[in-house]
Amino acid sequence: MKNRIGVYICHCGSNISDYVDVEKVKEIAGKEDSVVLSKTTMFACSDSVQKEIIDDIKEQKLDAIVVASCSPKLHLFTFRNVAQRAGLNPYNYIQVNVREQCSWAHSDNPPKATEKAIKLVKAGIEKAKHSQPLTPISIPSNNAVLVVGAGIAGMRAAIELAEMGTEVFLIEREYFVGGRASQWNELFSTNETGREVVSRLYNKIIKTNNITLFTGADIDSKSGGVGNFDIKIKIKPRHIKPNCKLDLENFKKAVEACPVDFDDPFNFNLTKQKAIYKNYPSEFPEIPAIDFDHCTKCGKCVKICSEIDLDQKEEIINVNVGAILLTTGSSPYEPEISEFGYKEIDNVITLQQLKRLIELREGELIYQGKKIKNVAFIYCVGSRQVLGENKYCSRYCCTSAIHTAIMLKEKYKGINNFHFTRGVRTYGKQEILYNKSSKQGDIFLQSFADSPAEVYNEKGQTFVKIKDVLTTDKQLEVKADLVVLVTGMVPRENNSINNILKVPIGRDKFYNEIHPKLRPVETVIDGVLIAGSCQAPLNITESVKSSLSAAAKVNSLISKGEIELEPTLAQIDKLLCEWCDKCTSVCPYSAIEKKEVNGKVIAEVNEANCKGCGICLPVCPTNAIQLIGYTDVEIESMIDALID
Amino acid sequence: MDNKKSAPKILVFSTEKISDPAIDLAGLLKKHYPPTVYTINVPCSSAIKTKWILRAFDKGFDGVFIAADGTDCSFSETCTLRTGELVKQTHLIMKEKGIDPAKLKMAAICSVCSDPFVKHMKNFISALSN
Amino acid sequence: MTKSNEYDALVIGGGIAGEEAALNLANIGYKILLVEKDLSIGGKMIHLSKVFPTLDCGACITTPKVSETARHPNISIFTNSVIEDIEKHYENDFSAKLVEKPRYVTEDCTGCQICEEKCPVVVEDQYQWDLVGRKAIYVPFSIANPRIAAIDIENCSLCGLCEKVCPAFAIDFSQEEKIHEVNFKTVIIATGFELFDPTLIPRYGYGRFKNVVTAMQMERQLVPTRPFNNVLRPKDGKMPDNIAYVLCTGSRDETVGTPICSQVCCMYSTKQAQLLMGALPMADVTIYYLHIRAFGKGFCEFYQQAQGMGVEFIKGKVGLIKEKENGNLLLRYEDIQEGIVKEAEHDLVVLSVGILPNTDFSTMFKNVKIEQDDFEYVNQVDELSSPAKTNINGVFVAGTSSGPMDIPDSILSAGAASAEAAGYLKGGKK
Repeated sequence: MKNRIGVYICHCGSNISDYVDVEKVKEIAGKEDSVVLSKTTMFACSDSVQKEIIDDIKEQKLDAIVVASCSPKLHLFTFRNVAQRAGLNPYNYIQVNVREQCSWAHSDNPPKATEKAIKLVKAGIEKAKHSQPLTPISIPSNNAVLVVGAGIAGMRAAIELAEMGTEVFLIEREYFVGGRASQWNELFSTNETGREVVSRLYNKIIKTNNITLFTGADIDSKSGGVGNFDIKIKIKPRHIKPNCKLDLENFKKAVEACPVDFDDPFNFNLTKQKAIYKNYPSEFPEIPAIDFDHCTKCGKCVKICSEIDLDQKEEIINVNVGAILLTTGSSPYEPEISEFGYKEIDNVITLQQLKRLIELREGELIYQGKKIKNVAFIYCVGSRQVLGENKYCSRYCCTSAIHTAIMLKEKYKGINNFHFTRGVRTYGKQEILYNKSSKQGDIFLQSFADSPAEVYNEKGQTFVKIKDVLTTDKQLEVKADLVVLVTGMVPRENNSINNILKVPIGRDKFYNEIHPKLRPVETVIDGVLIAGSCQAPLNITESVKSSLSAAAKVNSLISKGEIELEPTLAQIDKLLCEWCDKCTSVCPYSAIEKKEVNGKVIAEVNEANCKGCGICLPVCPTNAIQLIGYTDVEIESMIDALID
Repeated sequence: MDNKKSAPKILVFSTEKISDPAIDLAGLLKKHYPPTVYTINVPCSSAIKTKWILRAFDKGFDGVFIAADGTDCSFSETCTLRTGELVKQTHLIMKEKGIDPAKLKMAAICSVCSDPFVKHMKNFISALSN
Repeated sequence: MTKSNEYDALVIGGGIAGEEAALNLANIGYKILLVEKDLSIGGKMIHLSKVFPTLDCGACITTPKVSETARHPNISIFTNSVIEDIEKHYENDFSAKLVEKPRYVTEDCTGCQICEEKCPVVVEDQYQWDLVGRKAIYVPFSIANPRIAAIDIENCSLCGLCEKVCPAFAIDFSQEEKIHEVNFKTVIIATGFELFDPTLIPRYGYGRFKNVVTAMQMERQLVPTRPFNNVLRPKDGKMPDNIAYVLCTGSRDETVGTPICSQVCCMYSTKQAQLLMGALPMADVTIYYLHIRAFGKGFCEFYQQAQGMGVEFIKGKVGLIKEKENGNLLLRYEDIQEGIVKEAEHDLVVLSVGILPNTDFSTMFKNVKIEQDDFEYVNQVDELSSPAKTNINGVFVAGTSSGPMDIPDSILSAGAASAEAAGYLKGGKK
């Protein structure tokens, strides 16, 4: 039992002290037995207070410390480190959460918040009394990473990781890499095309030794944990022989021969494609693929080219990696039928379709046989929804729409752009584009959330109507040849990955980081990181920043050959254990083994496999199992202190 | 002890990676719930021992709430099943001891389920008050 | 040339971006030289109150990073120091002059502040944005790192009182500038930003009307370590009850040479408005804006939360501010929605000043020239796929040195710079 405990109650500026009477908490804590020192501090986490705590530990010979401050998720490691620097075992440090779970949660009732804080601190002191010095477990880590999704973010992270010396397995679900960016033409702000950027990165990947790229590949299963994940990757066959030299002529003939015809998702259904195909113009790897969901296996293409193999089978390969980086990206929001006339009025398309259209139409902008002059952009479709679920701003769309509008005018003659906005958000340097489009004569109109623009068709003409904030709420109307829905971002459908990896998903349905400022690319699952637009709407530059950031974190996590883990382990009391097999059958990690010790058959924990979940604790009929850090005496003494 | 007048006291078992972050989030967003709710952290909800729950009732807690990992659990797919099992076992023992089984509740609280958590707490408190 | 002057990376600037970049590289195992021109690391962020959109306190996020940086065995920090004459010799081979300015206080200082009590000289405190005074010898601010006093020699009267009272005998008037020759293999520029000087828009009366303050001055009134322990208007110390925010002060304004949007003012003003609603429950807060740029994760919801709390958002550009005798201010503005020019009275006006580049980096290089973009930020030569790359191979940019951005974006940008620098370092070792 620890009997020289130091207690620190943090004001957290005013976050705690505005609602909790920290002086009172300090006084009462100071009277608890085994407490030799009780103090309040303005910011417990500041360097000067950290030094003060270290001095206190040394001078007062403290054997445990308790800091009542914010959630341990923020500063547990900060103070464990303080303990360590003072020569105290870090596990003799206990953090009590009196901010998120007290002062803030009960800011409506300061006296009760103070009462609760006192009890929480008393429970923390109890836990400190029973705390044991522990040593973290060190496990070997494989300096290899699985990057899921070969869009710009994933490819960029892969290259940087490889350069830093980490082996990379890069998997892409589609047959071609590049993700969304491969579908775009000129990009803000450099005016490179998506294809140029993708080809640059793809060529680099091909030349880099320690990157292995799999297309048509998805995670099939995962076992193990940080440092040592065993991943099974399922690879769909491409149905083209591996070293195919299918020349353009033969490929064209094969495409002509293919009898199936279906909507091409690469062009957002604006065109048709065949079952044998390449993405155009962004086809990396430059080998065609056969879409087996649509192929009728008629064999006509095989007759033209012997490189085609309709009998190729799905493959499963195993990789072992130390970490997983998810860069699964986003999709454009798909409007509901009749949302702003979508799929109801035939000249209503999405911004993404318009971008493909520009790529496909040289010289004149023609849609459905009609030459386009007036283009109406409707902003915030699927973003900042009043009734729908997507409350968030999709961040990239204002700039993307304006950039596309500028391109329209540069490429085609006689275009008039009308922007029906909810307030233009061209933040930062993107403002320059907004200025440019205004100067070139684009008309901007605006409405608020409560009165969105309306699209309607009258006598074969399409109109967009708005109550325009910028002209004293006048009702304005534009006859539009093309209505472009500026749709926002939603995360990709990743159900299989979500089921396997269990990465937390936030309220916007994007993956959630631990903390946007402290740990922006890490998830609560050790060794699984996120980057790019699977985390939140981001433009390309921002996605790349986050993916490079994640690359740095991955490398520093796994490149040292070992990772330190929490010493939270199950322990089995040899005397109490009556070997019944119950614990072994519930353990998800096969960490409990049958052993014979001095003629008695008992269960024993394999420390390398135990993850400290504690699932075995309640099933033991003789209560022989204790979890380090959560022993009966610790939990029960806390319960007693809370009720007091 | 004047238990009738004071608000019912609830002990919440939360889990470090899933439900405790949701409870933190409730505080962060200043979503208020009764201040007689106290939380103890465990790694996984399937690790809670019946004897801890009984201890809480014995010492004077009016309700115990298990903020379970549910399907989000990063340890095991059987988490919900195991947690449900231990709740069922404990309910049986509570009946034997003459404790109303309604005083022990469990619900899955995901890492961003701050609203459901607050709602559960308010409902539980009002159910216990009656 | 001693071996101790050899580093893997030079990080210029000890704000949040510089710290993040330095920590990332140091955690991989590289040796870092971090140079900060100010007396403390922590940059601008350490002076902020709560930060959007999570409303965590800024100090709670910065101070742990600050202390982690300060005690990291692979990071050497020089505060009150500048870098000059960076020369690139070959790839992975740079040198520079590190100029360590005298503090006139040695590291024996314990930060007890007894000297401050005795010092007879009072000047404006730059760390409180001139809201209050400080002494000529001073600990920069309460959570400074290092928490060591310094003498502001330009204002010091050389009376020697501090020397007499210092219990640690840490005062040393004989200190002189020290110049170290340092060598390193890569550079990260993280010199951050400056704030727009609102006296350049005389119509707003900043400097003439005492109750017109900048957002940073308001920020300081909202932090826990705030000077007045309350929000007060400077002219008469009255608690304001009708506060106005003027957005786009020095942003999106070609007349002052800043056509771009500063990316943070909408959100920091919305945040301050929320904090003011808490600090002064009776006060009205009005935000005059052109467009609310609530674009990041959780921002839109944060903006709606402010509207729900009763913050008034008026779409309109403020043209002129006049002062009344009682110190109140008359704002003449165009109400865009109604299409007319209106006048409104407020008792405190906060100018939401924009971000400008800190161009210190442009003169640090000797035999190579660092390119700047149209707005004088560090030019990103491959913005789409290597956002940290500059025109000089081996020199990378982090945080607001490449353009306006908020804290989460700065941290990610610093992460990107550290990854690219790590890749460059590894490549050079091959």
